[in-house]
Amino acid sequence: MYVGEHKPMKRKAYWVLASLGLSVSSLTLLQGQQQSEPAEEVELIADHAECVMFGPKRAEFMDQSVHARRNRFSFSEITESVVNRLGGRVETPYFVPGGSRTQASQKGSASGNLIDKHIFGVLREKGIEPAARTNDYEFARRVSLDLTGRVPKVERLTQFVNDNDAEKRAKYVDELLNSEEWIDKWTMFFGDLYKNTDTIRATNTNRRAEGREAFYAWIYNSLKENKPYNRIAYELIAAEGTNSWTKGELNWQVGNRTTGGPVQDHFDQMASATTETFLGISHFNCIVCHNGRGHVDTLSLWGKSASRMQAYSLSAFFAQSTFTQQPRAERADPNLFYWGVEFNRNGSYQLNTTTGNRPPRQAIGTQRVATPVYPFGDGTATPNSGEPWRTAAARLVTSDFNFSRATVNYVWKELMVRGLVEPVNQMDPARLDPENPPAAPWSLQPSNAALLRDLAQDFIDNKYDLKALMRRIATSDAYQLSARYDGNWNPAWDSLHARRLAKRLMAEEIYDAVVQTSNVAAPISFGVASRVPNEPAPAPKIVQWAMQTTSPSSRGGAAGFLNPFYPGNREDTDRRRDGSDQQALTLMNNNLVMARTRSTVTNGRESLLRQHVNKGNRELIDNLYLNVLSRMPDESERSAAMAALNSGNRTQAAENLLWALYNKVDFFFNY
Amino acid sequence: MFDQAKFRRFVQKNPHSHVPFFHRPQASRRGFFRLAGAGLAGTFLASQPAQAQLVKGQDVKTQNSADRVLFVLLAGAPSHVDTFDLKMLNGISPSTFNPTAINGVQWNTGVFPKLAERAGDIALIRSGRAWAAQHTLSQTWAQIGRSPAAVLGDVAPNMGSIVAIEKRGERRPDQIFPTFLGLNSDGAVGAGYLPATFEPFKMAPSTNGLPNTTNPDGATRFATKYTLLEGLDNPLRVKSPYGDSVTDFGAFYSAARGLMYNAAVDKAFRYSTADSGRYGNTAFGNALLTAKQVFEADMGTRYIQVTLGGWDMHNNIYQQAQQGQNNIFTLGKIVDDAMSELIKDLKANGQFGRTLIVMMGEFGRTVGALNPTAGRDHYLQQFFFLAGGGVKGGKAIGVTDETGARTREFGWAEERDIRVEDIEATIYSALGINWTNIRYDDPFGRGFEYVPYANEGLYKPVNELWA
Repeated sequence: MYVGEHKPMKRKAYWVLASLGLSVSSLTLLQGQQQSEPAEEVELIADHAECVMFGPKRAEFMDQSVHARRNRFSFSEITESVVNRLGGRVETPYFVPGGSRTQASQKGSASGNLIDKHIFGVLREKGIEPAARTNDYEFARRVSLDLTGRVPKVERLTQFVNDNDAEKRAKYVDELLNSEEWIDKWTMFFGDLYKNTDTIRATNTNRRAEGREAFYAWIYNSLKENKPYNRIAYELIAAEGTNSWTKGELNWQVGNRTTGGPVQDHFDQMASATTETFLGISHFNCIVCHNGRGHVDTLSLWGKSASRMQAYSLSAFFAQSTFTQQPRAERADPNLFYWGVEFNRNGSYQLNTTTGNRPPRQAIGTQRVATPVYPFGDGTATPNSGEPWRTAAARLVTSDFNFSRATVNYVWKELMVRGLVEPVNQMDPARLDPENPPAAPWSLQPSNAALLRDLAQDFIDNKYDLKALMRRIATSDAYQLSARYDGNWNPAWDSLHARRLAKRLMAEEIYDAVVQTSNVAAPISFGVASRVPNEPAPAPKIVQWAMQTTSPSSRGGAAGFLNPFYPGNREDTDRRRDGSDQQALTLMNNNLVMARTRSTVTNGRESLLRQHVNKGNRELIDNLYLNVLSRMPDESERSAAMAALNSGNRTQAAENLLWALYNKVDFFFNY
Repeated sequence: MFDQAKFRRFVQKNPHSHVPFFHRPQASRRGFFRLAGAGLAGTFLASQPAQAQLVKGQDVKTQNSADRVLFVLLAGAPSHVDTFDLKMLNGISPSTFNPTAINGVQWNTGVFPKLAERAGDIALIRSGRAWAAQHTLSQTWAQIGRSPAAVLGDVAPNMGSIVAIEKRGERRPDQIFPTFLGLNSDGAVGAGYLPATFEPFKMAPSTNGLPNTTNPDGATRFATKYTLLEGLDNPLRVKSPYGDSVTDFGAFYSAARGLMYNAAVDKAFRYSTADSGRYGNTAFGNALLTAKQVFEADMGTRYIQVTLGGWDMHNNIYQQAQQGQNNIFTLGKIVDDAMSELIKDLKANGQFGRTLIVMMGEFGRTVGALNPTAGRDHYLQQFFFLAGGGVKGGKAIGVTDETGARTREFGWAEERDIRVEDIEATIYSALGINWTNIRYDDPFGRGFEYVPYANEGLYKPVNELWA
């Protein structure tokens, strides 16, 4: 439970310099130092009130070098270690056995796709040979996972490989974009981004199952109708209404509510969440407490000279908002209620606080109120006459070029494994524009700033159409490159996309791949309504796929399988793609997998093994590979499998083979 | 290329003051960039040249009295005046606390009857003080031994991960248990910027032991399966520029394989209902029981973190027998049953002297009268509970005032409140780890201090604890 709302506590004496790792005695030195620095218009000393944004969320503030150092290996290293375990040999022309490459576009930078112009242009400039093109098996599995979170169904895969249509890859991309599974996957992705949970423990704010489901449904429906992304963002930022259980989009701002402090804390949090989620700028959250100078100097060039006054000016856009609750008289139970986020005409951002979650806000000279001024761009934009401030914020943020950049970067990372800016929520507005590069020793932040700019413009030209963006990426030649690199790979090329980078499947993707390929259902049941005392428990919802679960609280019986794969909790623990011993133990021994290695019939459906166990050895082997790994075995795999089938009990050997495929690294990796 | 040596000489010539890095008048930001700027291209904070893990500390004498640590985090922050810095207040404190003076220390024998009997094994610090009264911030602070908002706070590893990396050279080939184990600690801080090998292995204790360590088809068939899996892997490995096998996902499989059908694993991680009963038959009790067994197995585990939440008693702190609600009596009993039994078992198997137990909350709770909802709210004064590992029991360090609001006598040579940073130094010293060490492999090239301000000696082990 959060800080008691009964007693705002005295913060000054306790916290003070601890946040900078200082001893108490150095406070005077600090003040002295600031007097000798070049004069600054606004000098606010951070009193270091406790800051809710650190602690478990620290991981968000790591930069790429930390990730690299922390994990000791980069994207390239993971890729190398994965491809080394795949079938196929260096001397054969095809990395993944079988399947033609002829349909893969060979045009490189001349493909007409702006992505290729930039990627291959840089490679040519640096004299770097790109990896070979994918064959059809590689491509189909990868793009199916990337766009829909599923491995290809075997019938469709075979059809795809045998198709002679020169446009088949682009057509397959369209098919995937228009599938139901696409909606599921991206609802999960945006659910993560918008942090849809039942409860926000840090502030003890409860959406409850009702709010969570309403939010889930809103995200789902927005994607289903392919709502332009600027409208999605606008609706979330500006959402207004009285009932978060029926108006799903309210739930994003509900999640930005704070507690234990004055209303300005709400406004600051709403502003911080907006900049991070929609502009990719997490460092804004630092500036809300204190000037950037002396705090973020090596983290963000923009942040370095940003002032708390600028932060106030953005927070002020949210000052006309107020959080409301369902009237007590209308509640079935006093503790179960919905939220509203409503318009308060008289709201304003007063500089008059001494308590709460942020350092004191004090008048600056004679200025006692911060008025809404958009701190990005030319720094002068304000609400139009008569325009509600939060609506103005939604307008300004969604028309900011960096909104497009940030969105493009999020999607790029999902499809290309490495963002053009890494980490994706640490974008530095002062270091993005290739036509205005920062002065040394700072450098442009994106791995390819011109590409990010052009793709962001392309996104705008296509009216912020998410599917169009994904199509642009998935049909590029750069996307078609293999993960296998036949020359001498140089780790320094990590960010150039000269090869496909491998990444582990999401927890939900692994679960669904086991279920789909085995043809044995594993439905998941979870609650979607709160339990009212003295009333019967509401009926749960049942979904067939893990990718359809609606929040971390909705994992039901699947949680035991999913958790070792780090699905995250959308609060203080991010989703991760790391490996662990426990993952290996789970895939080897968990009953979800074990039960699906058998020859069974359930509700008339034949398991994968049942379908093929009575066939000849070679057919059995090839079918298992095709279904589970979306490729054919190579000769050495076939002979190892053959030998296993010929020794001892054949059915058991077949089960062992299927088990082995579920534990092969190319099963749980996306390459 | 960042010249580490040159930078250090520069800083040595301009002595480090108690000012944050970016405010030092000497090493100004411009100066920093002048030294660090040459050759920075691509990402601003380019990875530092891969130095051997350069670890340097001052010449100190560590206590070296313990081989392993049990760190218990009482999440939610227990009321210090109702637990280990007992203050009986007229008309406020329940008489059922049954206060008893033991060796001059007031014990709450009503809530902790069994631990009171073990008072001679336990050292209490009452002059402890937290830096901040916010749960997630201070819980993180307690695990990383520094402010999470400080320069390297973002990437700081859990103390357990530092212990793991320091002790990695001592692991024998047969020691296959994780060095750092987290029991009921899903929210525990991880390895920060250190390699993922030093992450805590997190699990919940169970009578079935380590989950997923047997295959439903049995050991023999499992062996056949595993052999087939190895046979299917491409035997032809292309030469990789990365030689480290840690990056190879196969390493997770071999490690997992090693944990399966392993009598030592089962013996350590499984427990009987009888034993669980001795420890109080609770999840916390099971965690301490598992910890005892894991340490006993001597299979490489050196640091175990256990978390017991529910202490955030803003309401009804003394209410007994309220359905499903935590209060001092219900949660206190869980600790009393389990911790007293653990101490007993560690004395019986001879490991008590070399096992350091540290138990704390992230801060304390308000003193004096209860709040309007009959509870206590956040407060910075706190206790630290230590036992074993060379700690001299039967004493209390520090004395607070009548209500427990502030320290009146600090109880140690430093003459100030004791902080989690000091406890961190104490833990490292007990394990023979130089708490003044600085690792020069951190991503900022600044040097990661095990204990902040190591060179200035701002924080120290509480040497008054030792026998």
